[in-house]
Amino acid sequence: MSTQLTNTVELINASRWYGNVVAVNDISFSLGPGITGLLGPNGAGKTTILHMMAGFLRPSKGDVRIAGQRAWRNHEMYRDVGLVPEREAIYPFLTGFQFVLTSAKLFGLSDPTAAARKAIHAVDMESAQDRKLDGYSKGMKQRIKVAAAIVHDPHILLLDEPFNGTDPTQRLQMMDLFRKMAADGRTIVFSSHILDEVERIAENVLVIIAGRLAASGDFRAIRRLMTDRPHTFKVRSSDDRRLATALVADQSVFGVELNDDHLTVRTSQYDDFIRVVPRVAKAEDIRLHELLPTDESLESVFSYLVKR
Amino acid sequence: MNSTIFSLTLQQIAGRRRSLAMFGLAIVPVLVALVFQLGERLDQQEWTANVLLDDIILTIVLPLTCLILGTSVFGSEVEDGTAVYILAKPIQRRQIIIAKFAAASLVAAAVVVPATAISGLLAIQGASEDGIVIGFTIATLFGIAAYTGGFILLSVVTSRALLIGLAYVFIWEGIATELFTGTRFLSIRHYCLGIADLISSTGKQNFEAELGGAEGLVLASAAAAIALFLAVRRLQRFELTEPD
Repeated sequence: MSTQLTNTVELINASRWYGNVVAVNDISFSLGPGITGLLGPNGAGKTTILHMMAGFLRPSKGDVRIAGQRAWRNHEMYRDVGLVPEREAIYPFLTGFQFVLTSAKLFGLSDPTAAARKAIHAVDMESAQDRKLDGYSKGMKQRIKVAAAIVHDPHILLLDEPFNGTDPTQRLQMMDLFRKMAADGRTIVFSSHILDEVERIAENVLVIIAGRLAASGDFRAIRRLMTDRPHTFKVRSSDDRRLATALVADQSVFGVELNDDHLTVRTSQYDDFIRVVPRVAKAEDIRLHELLPTDESLESVFSYLVKR
Repeated sequence: MNSTIFSLTLQQIAGRRRSLAMFGLAIVPVLVALVFQLGERLDQQEWTANVLLDDIILTIVLPLTCLILGTSVFGSEVEDGTAVYILAKPIQRRQIIIAKFAAASLVAAAVVVPATAISGLLAIQGASEDGIVIGFTIATLFGIAAYTGGFILLSVVTSRALLIGLAYVFIWEGIATELFTGTRFLSIRHYCLGIADLISSTGKQNFEAELGGAEGLVLASAAAAIALFLAVRRLQRFELTEPD
């Protein structure tokens, strides 16, 4: 099997439904080495997609292939796949080292102790490896779960919300680890609902909304789509009527609505607009009380992408 | 059998509160036997066989112990999400089920066998044993295999394994098989009674065994084997669902 095929994750018109509820709707993509972020709001279908990739869910329609082989009912594929589940549950009676060692034994490694030590070192958990998992913080649990998933040095690593509960330092360490693994030619797929996490680490992004693939490709292109979309701001000032007149003349603004105690302004150029408003207010001698974007939730960004 | 899963399962059982309840359950027949010894003299053989070993051990202690263990060794892992750490490994599903079955059966035997033997010997003290205690003790071993296999199968099939298992023990075995004699072919308790009857040599009917000993042996073994076979088949198609 070629290296390229070994690292491939493919969804071919994959759908998954539970009764009448469609969780994943006709998604196709193919991933190779590097880091791919599955981005989407909670409930978008990211976990369902990851579980289909991990062979835990049968696609209702279509196919999911890992390293060229069907993922469903194929326990042999785990020799080359590592999985970090989102759920925090972990064997509370084991120490961190025992947990990773158990994983190494279950993978059938020839020297499980050495492999466990190496994996724990990679996630920088040596200092806590002899403590019971019961006493671990959420971030420590995430890191030891990653160690257990990479103990057999897999070509493909699937992670469900891996940065949940980690502090900024731990997050940076994990991101470095994933970057190194990706640089070694491994395929890393992780899900997240945090734009910033995906932006910092993923070279390739799949935006999942309501079970559908809303956008895919290079993160910068998707980010541009997100920032170039229409934005709505709430503006309060000492003279809303005069400010509205002045703002309408600016080319970054394409709609102003005068409300009882504030203005609602629509713009397609986020960065320009937030620089223009104070300047215009100052020129008109108007005191600016509030300038607030009203649609900055991730869900609103995603829903814009879906409508496009 | 996968020794790592076997040892992990034993540690999981030891760490659960339910396990304490199980050992509490095992003390009940011993206490009942002690009270019986202090009380009014009845027919010791008949009381030991009918009341202690059948009504208490075979009807309550044995099935409930196996129910707690059989439904938890896999079902609890699915419930709390730790099943993924075993399932996402290159291990044949048969090995997982066998290791779980072996661990649950071993603990069930450690609870039920001493409870049966000690309480039986205490109760029959001073009378002729006639193989009653040894018969029931061996019967419980077959019962453990059949019940544990069945309850593991239930936990792989449904998340309501505990509830369905309780219904089987108390409604099916406790009521239905008493009312409709023909249904005893589908009762693990009656397989055990048949086996106990085969081994004991009292020469009189101390307990009600509707099935022959050979039938009991074959049916208990078949029940365990079929349940495990189906559990493996089901685990091969097992879907792990988590909220998105």
